[in-house]
Amino acid sequence: MSTYAFQHLTPQLPSTEPIRVKRWSLTKVISNTTLLVIGAFFLLPMLWLFAASVDTSASWQLRVPDFTTRNYLLALQPDYTRALVNSLILSLIATVVATVAAFLAAYSFSRQHIPWKGPILLTILFLSGVPISILIVPIYKMFSYVGWLSIFPTAVILGVTALPFEIYLIKNAVDAIPLDLEEAAHIEKASTWKILSRIVIPLTMPGIASAAIFGFVNAWGSFLIPLVLISRAAEQPGPVRMYGFMNSVAINYGAVAAFSILYSLPVVILYLLMSRSFRAGFVLGGAVR
Amino acid sequence: MVELANDPVAKTLGALVAENGARLDKPRFSPSSLLLLFPAAALLIGLFIYPVGYSVYLGFTNLQLIGPNSIHFRFTGLQNVYFLLSDHVFYRSIWLTLVFVVGSGAVGTTILGLVIALALQSALTSVRMVVTSLAIVAWTLPPAAIAIIWYAATTQGGIFPVLFGYPHADVLYDHAMLVVSLANTWSLAGLATIIFSAALRNVPQEMLEAAKLEDANAYQRLTRLVLPILKPTILTSALLMTLLSFGNFTLIYLMTQGGPGGDSNILPVYSYLQGFTFKKLGYAALLGDVIVLISGVLGIAYVWLAQARRRAPKSNSV
Repeated sequence: MSTYAFQHLTPQLPSTEPIRVKRWSLTKVISNTTLLVIGAFFLLPMLWLFAASVDTSASWQLRVPDFTTRNYLLALQPDYTRALVNSLILSLIATVVATVAAFLAAYSFSRQHIPWKGPILLTILFLSGVPISILIVPIYKMFSYVGWLSIFPTAVILGVTALPFEIYLIKNAVDAIPLDLEEAAHIEKASTWKILSRIVIPLTMPGIASAAIFGFVNAWGSFLIPLVLISRAAEQPGPVRMYGFMNSVAINYGAVAAFSILYSLPVVILYLLMSRSFRAGFVLGGAVR
Repeated sequence: MVELANDPVAKTLGALVAENGARLDKPRFSPSSLLLLFPAAALLIGLFIYPVGYSVYLGFTNLQLIGPNSIHFRFTGLQNVYFLLSDHVFYRSIWLTLVFVVGSGAVGTTILGLVIALALQSALTSVRMVVTSLAIVAWTLPPAAIAIIWYAATTQGGIFPVLFGYPHADVLYDHAMLVVSLANTWSLAGLATIIFSAALRNVPQEMLEAAKLEDANAYQRLTRLVLPILKPTILTSALLMTLLSFGNFTLIYLMTQGGPGGDSNILPVYSYLQGFTFKKLGYAALLGDVIVLISGVLGIAYVWLAQARRRAPKSNSV
């Protein structure tokens, strides 16, 4: 009896039931339908690649494949894997060259007093927007003059094309770390090298990683620069090999598809693994602001 | 007391000033900067800025890929420019370049990315996951793979002709420019989506709620509130997509080589063809210079647009 009275006396609390929002508003229906249509636009062309790569008699048509792994075995022949290895060599050299140079310059731009810093940074920003195709003719002329039409100088060129944007990405990352840390280390008489290796590099790692990935992907995807600047067919990277595939008389569609999947896979995986830091780097990238 | 110079502290300060000749509280150029800047400076000047300048010079020479003029080329004045001005392919090529770079790059990709990002806000989780990953994978694919995918999708018997009921039409041959433009948009929309999703997250929620309380419908909230807030991002994306589309000519080269009949012959492809198929390197270099001019003009136009936006409220308030 007493409990009943007590219950009666408790003040009326607001309902704990969630406020029901209309589940299917018009906006929601339109949004989801639009996305499904756009998703199909993205998915349908890709489907062919997967279907054809496991199809015994693939053509340009999209159809349910007769399953086989022969195409992948074909695409993994030494002749083709060498093209992938060349791609890897090109991209790794380009990445290391560009990222090391970009980090050093970015740190200097961010922390040191440099005369005409503003105009220099503006020039670098301008360079990051220059269409790369303009470089093909003069570089070809320069390199053929000194006999450098091979894989290593080409890798350096590919690094240089990514360098301006990498400087910007890394400079933004260095700008974001508080100066106090370096000052404290300086007071403790840490050398410049120690400050760089113990404080700056670990803290800017996400920025450096996104710059390095940008450089790697840039080199991995480039086609015309290696095509022009590498004279030996054995040193040509993946995309040039693929071009040969597409233009051959008896084209093996399944092998083309399998090879392009193998060729695309490293880049896609790299992006997906690093998507978080890369997105942050790209969105914060001052070069795009 | 009078002889201040004898004070040891003042002496060291004096000595320091004599040594450095400047105030110590001002930032000064440190020699280590030279060391830090050297690699990037050497690479950029030697392999970027110098070649660009060299290409301007080569544009006024009769350099050839093979033959006697490949070694003993000479300055020919405005001869290449006259040829350029009477080159009908060139004029068509400029138009196609603008269609590709501004139409499919700046406008098409930005709109598609914006639409996706806006729709994602009220999407089901499953739909959101699928569409975002598809768009991002499409963006991460290397150009050569995109070229193959779109070649397969639009050639005779490919998925798109079949889907629209013309299985025997070779869309790639009949509408080459449309296909390569679509492929370009397809390959860049993922990046635009990422940029716009991030920008949409920065739209203040209070403003949206205030607008809801005022009974603004979704369309009004979008056009009066979200789009004006996003305007700087839209311009940024348009500029970025323009530049990336210029770089995407690999796609065209692999899919159509500028053909059929020059239908998709944008300037970077035309420059390559002139240089390495028709062996006229000098003329190719001049075309390259035109490309840089166009991208410079477009870049300045976007910056001008962005600044016009910033100036406008000021002049109104005054």
